[in-house]
Amino acid sequence: MIQFYEHFPVISVMGLFLAAFLVEIFGNKNKTIRYGISLIACLAAAAMTLYLIIPVFRDGKIISYWMGGWAPEGGYAFGIGYEIDGLGLFFGILTSITFLMSVIFSKRYMERDAHLGHYYTLFLMLAGSVLGLVFTGDVFNLFIMIEIMTFAAVALTAFRHGKHPEALEGAFKYLVLGSIGSSLTLLGVALLYLSTHTLNMAQISALLSSQGFKPTTLFAFAMMLSGLAVKSFVVPFHTPAADAYATAPASVSTLFSGMVNKAGIYGMIRLTYILFRVMDRESVMLLLALIGALTMFVGVTMALAQHDFKRLLAFHSISQIGYVLMSVGLGSVLGLYGGLFHALNHTLFKGLLFLTAGAVYYATGTTNLDKLGGLAKRMPATTACFLVGAFAISGIPPFNGFASKWLIYQAAYEKAVQSGNFVYVIITITALLVSVMTLASFIKVTSAAFLGQQPASLKEVKEVPFSMQLPMFIMSALCLICGLLYRPVLTYLVGPAVSAAMDPSAYIDTMMGSGYAITHGVLPSSMGFAMISAWDPRFWLLLFIIVTCAVTLVAVSDARTRGPVSLPQPGETDAKHATFFGGEKSTHSHVSGSDLFWGFKKDLKGYFHVIGDLHSGRTNDYALWVVLGVTVIMLFTFIFLS
Amino acid sequence: MFKKLIAESMTKSPWIYHVNTGSCNGCDIELVACLTPRYDVERYGFKLAGTPRHADIVVVSGPITSQSKDRLIRTLEQVPNPHCVVTIGSCPQSGNVFKGSYSVEAPLEKFCEVDVAIAGCTPKPEAIIEGLYKAAQILKKKREAMQ
Amino acid sequence: MPEFVSNLLNILLVALHVLVFPGLLFAAVGGLLLAGIDRKVLARMQRRVGPPIVQPFYDFFKLMGKETIIPAAARPGIYQAAPIIGMVSLSLMMLFFPIFGHSAAFATKADLIVILYLLTIPAVALIIGGSASGSPFAGVGISREMVVMLGYELPLVMVLLTVAKKVGGDTMTFALEDIAVWQLANGSLLFHWSMIPAAIAFLLIIPAEVGTQPFDVAEAETEICEGPLIEYSGAPLAIFKLNTAMKMFVMTALFQVLFLGGIDLGKYWLLGGAVLFVISAVLTVLCMTFIHAITARLKVEHLFKFYWTVVAGLALVSLVLVWFGL
Repeated sequence: MIQFYEHFPVISVMGLFLAAFLVEIFGNKNKTIRYGISLIACLAAAAMTLYLIIPVFRDGKIISYWMGGWAPEGGYAFGIGYEIDGLGLFFGILTSITFLMSVIFSKRYMERDAHLGHYYTLFLMLAGSVLGLVFTGDVFNLFIMIEIMTFAAVALTAFRHGKHPEALEGAFKYLVLGSIGSSLTLLGVALLYLSTHTLNMAQISALLSSQGFKPTTLFAFAMMLSGLAVKSFVVPFHTPAADAYATAPASVSTLFSGMVNKAGIYGMIRLTYILFRVMDRESVMLLLALIGALTMFVGVTMALAQHDFKRLLAFHSISQIGYVLMSVGLGSVLGLYGGLFHALNHTLFKGLLFLTAGAVYYATGTTNLDKLGGLAKRMPATTACFLVGAFAISGIPPFNGFASKWLIYQAAYEKAVQSGNFVYVIITITALLVSVMTLASFIKVTSAAFLGQQPASLKEVKEVPFSMQLPMFIMSALCLICGLLYRPVLTYLVGPAVSAAMDPSAYIDTMMGSGYAITHGVLPSSMGFAMISAWDPRFWLLLFIIVTCAVTLVAVSDARTRGPVSLPQPGETDAKHATFFGGEKSTHSHVSGSDLFWGFKKDLKGYFHVIGDLHSGRTNDYALWVVLGVTVIMLFTFIFLS
Repeated sequence: MFKKLIAESMTKSPWIYHVNTGSCNGCDIELVACLTPRYDVERYGFKLAGTPRHADIVVVSGPITSQSKDRLIRTLEQVPNPHCVVTIGSCPQSGNVFKGSYSVEAPLEKFCEVDVAIAGCTPKPEAIIEGLYKAAQILKKKREAMQ
Repeated sequence: MPEFVSNLLNILLVALHVLVFPGLLFAAVGGLLLAGIDRKVLARMQRRVGPPIVQPFYDFFKLMGKETIIPAAARPGIYQAAPIIGMVSLSLMMLFFPIFGHSAAFATKADLIVILYLLTIPAVALIIGGSASGSPFAGVGISREMVVMLGYELPLVMVLLTVAKKVGGDTMTFALEDIAVWQLANGSLLFHWSMIPAAIAFLLIIPAEVGTQPFDVAEAETEICEGPLIEYSGAPLAIFKLNTAMKMFVMTALFQVLFLGGIDLGKYWLLGGAVLFVISAVLTVLCMTFIHAITARLKVEHLFKFYWTVVAGLALVSLVLVWFGL
């Protein structure tokens, strides 16, 4: 008896693809039809995905769906199967939140652009492909989805090439490197098919478990890992991300950081934890952790050197993905909790930050930090949302970024102490340090764009319309909620995903018939973990609010004893309220983003020169980076896994 | 209780902002001498502040040259109430030997109310300390008048 | 009814903890006294008479009575809220510290990493507040403040990890309670020779965290007119000055928790603890004053280099020693 909700995954993916074609056919002229179709498709897909929480997360079911009813015959899966376990659904939820917020934001944000029919077509293709990628149970189908995702993403990157010629350059880099990544994945898939004679992930997992690793499968592992690493933009494959994120429209950048690079991370978790089950092989996982640590450090230091709002966010996206990968690479249950929770949080706060960047662009027409300033006066809602996002990403308690980083530090240091490997200590210190650097670069954005002095050209800036504020408010609220209620979120959202990754036997049995996993020797990993200590953000926030109110009350009630408050007259600037310039008349003298943190940059100028030169902007160099990265991964795989 | 405490504190922690309006540097040196271990005005709570926003007492030295007049007035505007203005030396009081020059605007009384004027060219540190101490008492009276 | 009464009593107890001991009032009074001792001792070291020890109280109350001018370029909301946020987060931090083996009021609600991050909130409040005042001097000031923070954060992180490893052994712990219990059983961490470099590193971090000479680049009043505080006046300035004093107090308390928690006072913990607390806080501040008295302000790039080489090196020595079980 098939339950009605078992059709939801397929309907949501197909619905998005179908809507993409409908927009192209009917929506090119009429903007109501165009936007209506897109919104309805996104709403429906998101609603169906979120509905799956009930069977999958609450009841612990795994939903399998064979396309065309092609169930396995004689122990071999021939058809394309969709299979939604906790891990897939977890990333499905991230994806649906992202495209839903982005489509609401797009309505007004994109209104000044032409050819919006193409925009929404590509938008829906991108959303559908990522959703399909996380729902599919078939490696070749996974490759197809990656291909659709890459090309839709490339085209969306170049969408504003008329106004911003550099968008074309970003798209070209993305196209070249993305194609390399896709080819690597395809090669890996082909080799896997060669050695296991099946494309079904559940069956591959079981067969690899019983057969052991052969050189072919190891080669396939290295190829697929590199291909997925290119898709998730980790160092040294991160180079196209900066250009693509920075030049794409902000709504698309939200999609990139919210779901496109998460798709790569999802693939890597699926590959290492379920297909090859190498999470106990410390050497290989250490490679992931090291790549993660390198990614977060390079990402954040490059971000410190940027003076374009969106490019800075792009490098932070890379850096935060480094956190996720590092934590996943620890191979422990606590690490996976931290990593997946950080992936969720990253989707929320980075999506929020890209939306605020989009709002700033919409209102002022630029994202150059040297030209912005003092926006808080004219755009209070955007500023408030930006501050929430900035505090969340820098890990200021009680926002969500802190909760997941806190888990990651615990997991990393616990791993260090348990394994006795000093490398993990360095990784932990890097993670803690990167967090402060993240704070530093967001302080830069805050003071350069939102606070500080207001240039004369920005005196007439208006706050963005409500339909753009709404997704920002929702994301801000989610950031706070995930930070305050991190325990329920961990238990009910992240927990099922972690158990799905650590124990694939139910995943295999659902697809291939019960008992298949045991006969092939798939054993569950231990699920035990303990939090090392406690943090109660609700308690802290409650006390914080109460004490703040008390202090404020005392201050207000005692206004006669206290000195008077002298507010400036609106409109005119008298000498008393003018900014102090050593007695001179106050003039516009904005400390722009590029001028901050001079001492830091001077002391580390050796490093900054090298890293700056390495990011040469030439596609050839970047392709070389990819080749180097693939070589390292391959060497590691063959030395430590065979 | 707090009202009294605050009024009392006014006399015990006056922060000084020093403006040089074309002084010959003699008075400035004597003011700095007050901070040195020999005289140590910090024992009365006096401290040099870096910005007029933090100041309680603005110390003006020099004959108010035309160039510095606007800047001085602007700076005095930016000091929060209650505050005192103290002049050191004869220059801001009368113009001293520069009196009658086309580029000198002294006395300071033309532009703002002066609370304490410490005469001399240059005044001794003891005189400066006494003047500042008197200014601190005036500060308390001003605070009480504000209520 | 009795249940209602006991609930009420509990709430009153929490309120007492938060507002009086060891929360807001205790931290504020203690911090201001420490600041006063600092100024007095500094004066004596320079052969001056120096201000009375209660001088910071006079400063605080005087500033409370002054006019608060909100500059036209400032964002009034953020400008006035920033100091209060810093003050409240500092006072709440005191609730998580166990004092000489006695459990903290809310020990189970936060750990070492949380403390590390809560410590950044006052600094961020200062930065955001300064930035909201719209002055370019403040812009330079916050830039320097942030570089200082980047500087001391690396050694601080290493010190905390060293303590976690030393105390937890093969299981490592971040819980402050465990650190206190371990020290009661094994003696204060300061007296384990492998921890001495880490303790020195921590003592060198306190002046930068608080912002006293030679690490006061952010508020250098002679070059950038008090940096982030340039436009502040009246009550908000008073609270910022209070924050600095409270930060000094919190950091000395943290030093005791991490390095001096091994003195067992049995049932006299309250009286003996109070006395010891005062003595060790004063001693810690004296270390700071000593550095203050004999040095001049560093340049920001020298400061950063100092922390990433000398201080981080000291912390690394301890970390490596502890890592090999010493």
